[in-house]
Amino acid sequence: MLTEELQVTARTLGEALQASEPVQKYLKALAEFQADPEAADLEKRTLAMYEELIARQQRGEMLQRSEIDDFNTLKRQVYQHPRITEREAALTPVKRYFAEIADEINLPLGVEFSTLAQAFRA
Amino acid sequence: MNSQPSVSYIPPILPAARDQTAVQAASALGKLLSDMPEYQAFLKALKEVNNNAEVQQLSVKIREHNTALQWGRGDLLEHQAATETLQAELESLPSIRAYRQPEEAITRLFHAVDEVISQAAGVPFAANAKRSGCGCGG
Repeated sequence: MLTEELQVTARTLGEALQASEPVQKYLKALAEFQADPEAADLEKRTLAMYEELIARQQRGEMLQRSEIDDFNTLKRQVYQHPRITEREAALTPVKRYFAEIADEINLPLGVEFSTLAQAFRA
Repeated sequence: MNSQPSVSYIPPILPAARDQTAVQAASALGKLLSDMPEYQAFLKALKEVNNNAEVQQLSVKIREHNTALQWGRGDLLEHQAATETLQAELESLPSIRAYRQPEEAITRLFHAVDEVISQAAGVPFAANAKRSGCGCGG
């Protein structure tokens, strides 16, 4: 679907982004998070619980106070886990950098590349 | 559906870009995309939609109901029902129906490009490139 020229240019951009300092720091923090089974499990359990509680709430079910307390305890643990906080802290400069780079794509277009790319429904 | 570039499209006057390769590749990519037939068709349809008075009137009404919903003003069910009716009316307009196909084509193209960038970068690009819109630098 993509022309050769588009593919090469998009890949060149992606490789340049990967070589950048913010992305290198983020990938290191991500690898450290993934290598920590406790951190990965904690995040997975918290997300699963969040999705379950939201789904039940949307079905009109009244949640128990103890369930909300349990969720808040898990959430606090996520926010305080060093591997997770390091990963999230490393992502902030990546987002700032990517937004700057996206501005360069947007300028000749006059529309937001990122918004339209994400609007696609397969 | 607003074709007018907003503040979020304007690059920094003194870009803090540390990597000229990325800046140059991004700029080249933007120019390549702007030459694609999908983009030209999208832009044409977008301009027609933005210049259509009926579309604009319906869009304003939908925004008003959405604002009321966001702020919890008035009867929420009434606002929801009105939004759905107006949205259906909007979708039935010829200019909107003509806009949907080029919109789908451009989102498909940009998504495919984003996948190539993201795969090479090792981090999802578009998902992390959106500004927060609050002007707070997030």
